Amino acid sequence: MSRRVRLIKPLSYGALIAALFLIPLVIKGPYTLHILIWTGISIILACSLRLILISGQLSLAHGGMMSLGAYTSALLVMKLGLSSWATLLLAGLAAAGLALLIGFPFVKLRGIYFAMVTIFLSQMIILTTEQWRSLTGGGVGILNIPRPDPIVIPGLLNMDFGSKVDFYYFILVLTLVTLLVLYAIEHSRIGLTWLSIQQADFLAESIGINTAKFKVLAFAIGCFFAGVVGGFYSHYIGVVTPRSFDFPFAVYAMVYMVAGGMGRFSGPILGALVLTLIPEFVRGLKEFQPFVFAGVLMVIIFFLPEGLVGLPERLRKLVKGKT
Amino acid sequence: MSTEALAQSILNGLVSGGTYILVALGLTIVLGITRIVQLAHGEVYMLGAYAVYYLCAVAGLNFFLALVLSALLVGGLGIVLERFFFRPFRGQILRALIIAVGLMLFLQNAVLVTAGGTPKATPSPFPGVLNILGVTISWERLLVMLVGFGLVAAVLLLIQRTKVGQAMVAISQDREIAALQGINIDRISSIAMFLGSALAAVAGGLVGAMFSVTPFMGGFALVKGIAVIILGGMGSIPGAIIGGLIIGLIDGIVPPLLTTHMAGIISFGVIILILILRPQGILGHE
Amino acid sequence: MLEIKGLTKHFGGLAAVDGLDLSINQGEMVGLIGPNGAGKTTVFNLITGFLRPTKGKIMFDGKDITGRKPHSIAGKGIVRTFQATSLFTDFTVLQNIIAACYLKPKVNFWEAALHMPSSNKKEQHILSRALEIMQFVGLDGVKDMPAGSLPHGHQRILGIAIAIAAEPKLLLIDEPVSGMNAEEVTEAVALIKRMWQRGATILLIEHNMRAAMSLCQRIAVLNFGRKIAEGSPEEIRENKDVIQAYLGASEHAA
Repeated sequence: MSRRVRLIKPLSYGALIAALFLIPLVIKGPYTLHILIWTGISIILACSLRLILISGQLSLAHGGMMSLGAYTSALLVMKLGLSSWATLLLAGLAAAGLALLIGFPFVKLRGIYFAMVTIFLSQMIILTTEQWRSLTGGGVGILNIPRPDPIVIPGLLNMDFGSKVDFYYFILVLTLVTLLVLYAIEHSRIGLTWLSIQQADFLAESIGINTAKFKVLAFAIGCFFAGVVGGFYSHYIGVVTPRSFDFPFAVYAMVYMVAGGMGRFSGPILGALVLTLIPEFVRGLKEFQPFVFAGVLMVIIFFLPEGLVGLPERLRKLVKGKT
Repeated sequence: MSTEALAQSILNGLVSGGTYILVALGLTIVLGITRIVQLAHGEVYMLGAYAVYYLCAVAGLNFFLALVLSALLVGGLGIVLERFFFRPFRGQILRALIIAVGLMLFLQNAVLVTAGGTPKATPSPFPGVLNILGVTISWERLLVMLVGFGLVAAVLLLIQRTKVGQAMVAISQDREIAALQGINIDRISSIAMFLGSALAAVAGGLVGAMFSVTPFMGGFALVKGIAVIILGGMGSIPGAIIGGLIIGLIDGIVPPLLTTHMAGIISFGVIILILILRPQGILGHE
Repeated sequence: MLEIKGLTKHFGGLAAVDGLDLSINQGEMVGLIGPNGAGKTTVFNLITGFLRPTKGKIMFDGKDITGRKPHSIAGKGIVRTFQATSLFTDFTVLQNIIAACYLKPKVNFWEAALHMPSSNKKEQHILSRALEIMQFVGLDGVKDMPAGSLPHGHQRILGIAIAIAAEPKLLLIDEPVSGMNAEEVTEAVALIKRMWQRGATILLIEHNMRAAMSLCQRIAVLNFGRKIAEGSPEEIRENKDVIQAYLGASEHAA
């Protein structure tokens, strides 16, 4: 491949990223920014879920993990006065910690049963946030969560998170870093080992791979990112309640992932983008929004088995078939 | 806790347990055959509750008749769902799950839009209470228990004594061998969905009479059903019964002693314990 | 190298393996034969930790490995193949072997995740090892084909190659030539012989009598979970109990 051609890919990614950084210069409406921020959150959730999937397991615990992260970060900032940067990390570690704790009995389960216990785990986290009134404020939740600590580089940067634009940049960087980390891990020996386990876990075990350890590792890493994004959410919205992260979150993350395409790294990204933006275009329909969403889902599942990432290929075949 | 209070709690626990068993039975039958976590099972339950409500409160039918009719209608819906939404994705767990999600969203919102979000109350079939040995039980709850356990016994008999039941067991254990034995998987799948959905509908109707009917009541039922199946054993029908009884009793006895939320947490703890000691559940197959 | 004493496995009331004593020394190729259902694969499962014995002990290199997890036993140097072809079906042949080189060299989590130069060097090493193995087993012609699309005979060879990649001290091969045609059997037998000549220690389950006799120096015969004979191929061929066992089995089949 000639030097020029080899540079095309990184250059286009670079251009894309630059464009993303420039968006707030063009788009200033707080609602639109909110949607973009939400898309970032969705992308992180969907991609981290896919990491768990690569090791052969479907986790539906992301809602609960987000909740855990959100509460952890909010409480650590408000009760211990820690910096929100530290608490964000701790939020992720709390989620990962829980995954490690509970992981080993869970990964003994196969297929749908693993998914089922994760649903249950998620519900239990939510129940705990409702129950532990003294810590979490019970059903009312935590209000007035402070904004993230300001980032000040004298003369260059002054982000006090007073406006959505600052949050946009925050989530943009967070998303890019997450994607980088996920990509790096997936395309390393670890990712290869996960894929081996996904395809034939007995075989993997017989050549010395500690399948339980690797499954728990994937689960923990995936949950880490759910926790971090939960922490972000709490400082962004300013309020967390037990019901903030109920079922829909976990399910939507899975939906974005499958609809976008599980086979490719870019699948969940595409899925999150499309499915977060579509409901916005049909905002006007208000109560019929869920129907449109459900409808789009059905169409993708029925007609695009490899997900949205497979669309260009499908269209190409369709066109070729005609000529 | 006094003996009467304890007895009362146990009784309440049995009543809850009965409904959990019905939901879990339905779910495990569907799960064992179609092999998907029928996330919309809760919505099927909810539809059963609404059907009973409308048949009773609006059409003025007798409660039992309404239950039967609701079971038939919702069971029929189950057959349609299986045929058009789950069968094309047999074996593809993830895609089938998304379809279930889509159905869940659709059904919840369809009911929300048509019936409105305010809770409805199905008129009680037998008002009044019964007093046995110092323990008070409303006729309604007694009914729930009787219908619940009666149905469970009927399902058990069905599974063990009829060819259809045995076919369902065969499919849930090994689909390929079952097909080789000449079992018509399509037909049995339809029957399983009918049965599972009908059971959920009855559970919904009964709960609707005891409490209330809302478009989002399905979530609770689904989580309980999942808990029961994990505890009692994946793929095991007797397991669903035992699991349902345990969780029902926890939900009956713990709330008066501590709080309702603690009951959930204790259930969770018990399940984790079982998972560590016996991952396939109490009566589960390996 | 491997010492099995009194190995027993009960399933319900039935003893699948009953009081098996067997030892294997370094550099030997020992065969394990017997009619269908004699418990041969169960013995493999017990040795490699996929099943826990009801009774008995398994010692490897002087250490007790009874009841340990499969990955740990593989780490100690015992690797097995599977009777039903077990492959990473979506990977190419080359990827299969690269994946199988998990144990050697050991790659640390952070090394791999951060894509450190040491990790890259190890990857290079793994790649050259994998190519070497493929040449050795004769699969380098199809190295980029998805494993699932290979013909049956090649798939079974790949299964052996995967096990080799884990650099075992003791290799347990489960019916390598099942389902192969005559030509493939000859090649597979030659391959296994080559491996043994290079110093491998092998325990072989095989139904194909001729293959087993030509490869193994010592053969143990199982029937209904019990060892009924052990000795050189010639001794086994003449052994009355062995002949009876196989006749009995074919009578049942007929």
